[in-house]
Amino acid sequence: MFRASTTRIAAVAAGLVAAGGVAQGDSHGITIGYAGGFTGYLAPYDQPSLNGVQLALDQINAAGGIMGMPVEIVVKDTRSDTAQAAVVAQELIDEGVVAMIVSCDVDPAVASGVMAQAAEIPSASSCASTPTLPAAVGPYMFSNYTADNLQGAVLAEYARGQGYENAYILLSRDTPYTEKLPEYFGEAFEAMGGTVVAVGEYTMGQQDFSAEVTNIGGLDPSPDVIQTSAYEPDFPAFIKQLRAAGIDTPVLGSDGIDSPTTFALGDVAEGVVFSNAGFASPGSALEAFEMAYEEKYGMPNDTVFTATGYDLMMVIAAAIEAAGSTDGPAIRDAWDNLENVQVATGSITYKDQNRVPVRVVALNQVSGGERVHVGDFSPDSSMIPAP
Amino acid sequence: MDILIQQFVNALSLGGTYALLALGLAMVFSVLGLINFAHGDLMTLTGYAMFFAIGAGLGLPLAIVLGIACATLAAVAMERVAFRPVRDANTATMLLTSLAVSTILHMLFQNLISARPRAIPVPSWMIGAVDVGGLAIGVIQLMSITATALLLIALSVFLRRSILGIAMRAAALDFPVTRLMGINANAVVATAFGLSGLLAGVAGVLWLAQRGSVDPLMGFLPVLKAFIAVVLGGLGSLAGAVVGGFALAFIEVFLRAFLPDGWLPFRESITLTLVIVLLLVRPEGLIGRRENVR
Amino acid sequence: MSSGPEHLLDVAGLEVRYGAIEAIRGAGLEVCKGEIVTLLGANGAGKSSFLNAVMGLVPLAAGRVVLDGEDITGEAPETVVRRGMTLCPEGRRVFANLTVRENLAIGGATRRRTGDAATILADMLDRFPVLAERHDQMAGTLSGGEQQMLAIARAMMSAPRIVLLDEPSLGLAPQVVDTIFEMIVALQHHGATILLVEQNVDLALDVADRGYVLASGRVALSGPASELQASGEVERAYMGRD
Repeated sequence: MFRASTTRIAAVAAGLVAAGGVAQGDSHGITIGYAGGFTGYLAPYDQPSLNGVQLALDQINAAGGIMGMPVEIVVKDTRSDTAQAAVVAQELIDEGVVAMIVSCDVDPAVASGVMAQAAEIPSASSCASTPTLPAAVGPYMFSNYTADNLQGAVLAEYARGQGYENAYILLSRDTPYTEKLPEYFGEAFEAMGGTVVAVGEYTMGQQDFSAEVTNIGGLDPSPDVIQTSAYEPDFPAFIKQLRAAGIDTPVLGSDGIDSPTTFALGDVAEGVVFSNAGFASPGSALEAFEMAYEEKYGMPNDTVFTATGYDLMMVIAAAIEAAGSTDGPAIRDAWDNLENVQVATGSITYKDQNRVPVRVVALNQVSGGERVHVGDFSPDSSMIPAP
Repeated sequence: MDILIQQFVNALSLGGTYALLALGLAMVFSVLGLINFAHGDLMTLTGYAMFFAIGAGLGLPLAIVLGIACATLAAVAMERVAFRPVRDANTATMLLTSLAVSTILHMLFQNLISARPRAIPVPSWMIGAVDVGGLAIGVIQLMSITATALLLIALSVFLRRSILGIAMRAAALDFPVTRLMGINANAVVATAFGLSGLLAGVAGVLWLAQRGSVDPLMGFLPVLKAFIAVVLGGLGSLAGAVVGGFALAFIEVFLRAFLPDGWLPFRESITLTLVIVLLLVRPEGLIGRRENVR
Repeated sequence: MSSGPEHLLDVAGLEVRYGAIEAIRGAGLEVCKGEIVTLLGANGAGKSSFLNAVMGLVPLAAGRVVLDGEDITGEAPETVVRRGMTLCPEGRRVFANLTVRENLAIGGATRRRTGDAATILADMLDRFPVLAERHDQMAGTLSGGEQQMLAIARAMMSAPRIVLLDEPSLGLAPQVVDTIFEMIVALQHHGATILLVEQNVDLALDVADRGYVLASGRVALSGPASELQASGEVERAYMGRD
């Protein structure tokens, strides 16, 4: 009985993975690899990234490919497992990929990245935002996403600009993102003359923030602003309970809350300001991306991770084109010197940045269930906390 | 003092959700000896049913009813399709079956609906707070406490007054002899699953009202909490599951509220250490019975 | 051996295996309406396996079970109970954390439809007054003898056409055993048909009309109780004569 049922389950699982859109490349043309978590806890990030990558690939091939050669992508699922991330990376290397996209989370990204590093194949994480990631792996590893310290600095600059003196930060040590971004914010906020009055901690998925909210209500001096990088399900739970307790202190979030859920929260989310990788203002490249996305997938885009996946594929194409070669070291050197690559969210520069790109940070405000553009920011590098 | 009472209410509200979940888990365990790790996914199903119902313009009250009904039916279907064929197999087989069911559901949600969370808007009146004797009690908290109390009372009446309810308690003590009473084993097991689905559905609505969205993996953490609560209260004991749920919530809320700042990073470890210490002192759980520990 | 159309229960060629072990190797017996028939045998002779197999609690490897002319071979225990045969299991196995009232209520679960559960309950409380006294007490707090009475009363709540009693004297003090057996005889006087499994040979043959002796999974000996009691062959059968 048992053996029969596990076989059935394995068959169903294999069918589902195949249905999840895994394409197979072949030996001619240029092959890019994607070792992502398309099932498991990373699926909410790597699935949309892949959608963006595939849209970019369509456009690149429609325009004649890279160096006149068609581009293919080989996609392998790490099942969000770190050990599997290394295995899958090696498989991709064996299949002859010239560059590799790795998972959104730092641990599997490092696991895949060190394999690519050893094979002298450049790689980049789709959306890991920890600024120390490239240095942790080596010269063949790049970042793609807006770094946490950059977002923290932009939010701090905004907060000081609003005249906020005292800040409360809420962090979770469960992931580097939820821990470090608020800490970078706090560091920048204090460097700009503000004071962090208290630091709260939560566990991701804890649902109940009543204890933290009760504590915030009792703070003296009470904070002028609350910053957190909590995202759903934690952020909605937190802000509902915060507002329910009658605390109307302004809240600053980061790109993790750039999700339809936030805009469906109603009154409690009104006025929340958050940073992300770009705002789709009329006529912008991001707006064009959103339209192309809806055309290809038949549904509106609901996360910025599609756009940053698209961006990364465009960066890889630009690096290979600039290298004029599919040789790993040549692509790496070209990548490291890219300047002002035009992508969906604006432009990206790698030159002189130690493989952590400079890109625009947009601030958005939730207003009446819609997003309002506060502005685009690129803070002075002296204001960005060291990683 | 006020802050103490406030935190007490906070713990009571969270404990209600834990208790409902733990009770559902314990109900199936008591009858089958199975810890159903797909239990949390019933909450996820409630979430998706609500999401689609709201999307279809059915309105929140109907969406809630549909969400709970969906979890109930899914639990019964889960038993019929996945667990009945392995009912006589050993515990490890049943446990693995439940993990497989859970994994399959995760993949179905991720590939057929979306890996991204889906928003479940909650009307603003639910987000406010009411003033009860100087205490600010959230409407959702109040709903949670009320729903838990009503459901526990109704369930207790069912288990004490109806033949099927008595049969379920009897089955928890001695399944073969229960069948010798002419009680249909399938009916008892299906009822246990149906009730566990109902409880998961109600807990799911309360949980979703707080978190505001449904995503494919949302059931994992709650089922883990419920499992801890069930063990803490005493495996196989229904009352124990309820007590365990409240005990876990009280430990969590009071640690988060009153631990000194430097200790906060260790709050989860302290919670689990306290649970382990309690189990060392009372291996049968808070109100479990020694002979009932399987 | 009795014969004729009066057989209420007819078991033939019963075989039960637990893996490679053959517990019952082709045993059979008949019980007529109104009889007390006893099934005797040493420890491990397969008496409980026999009853459990007849009830459908353990699967049959071979054999046939006919209840009042209806073939019920291989039916689930709950179905067997609904058809009118019940088992009062070895070791009493009352529901310890249920009250006496609840134990009896669940015993009468099959009589809810027929609407006579209340009548049967009144009858049982009348016959076992101690259960009326302990009505709201947890069954686990009763004495061994009281638990045995509860177990028998619970079985009788389904108004069975035949009741299988498995070791009702097990672990009870001698005077309590006497009380239990008086009640068994009283049940027969009220029209019950009983298949009694017992280790206490003398006591069992005293109350029974007929007896069977099981040895190594087979019927080694059978006959009217008085003859078995007089012959002394029961003792030899116990020693494992095939």
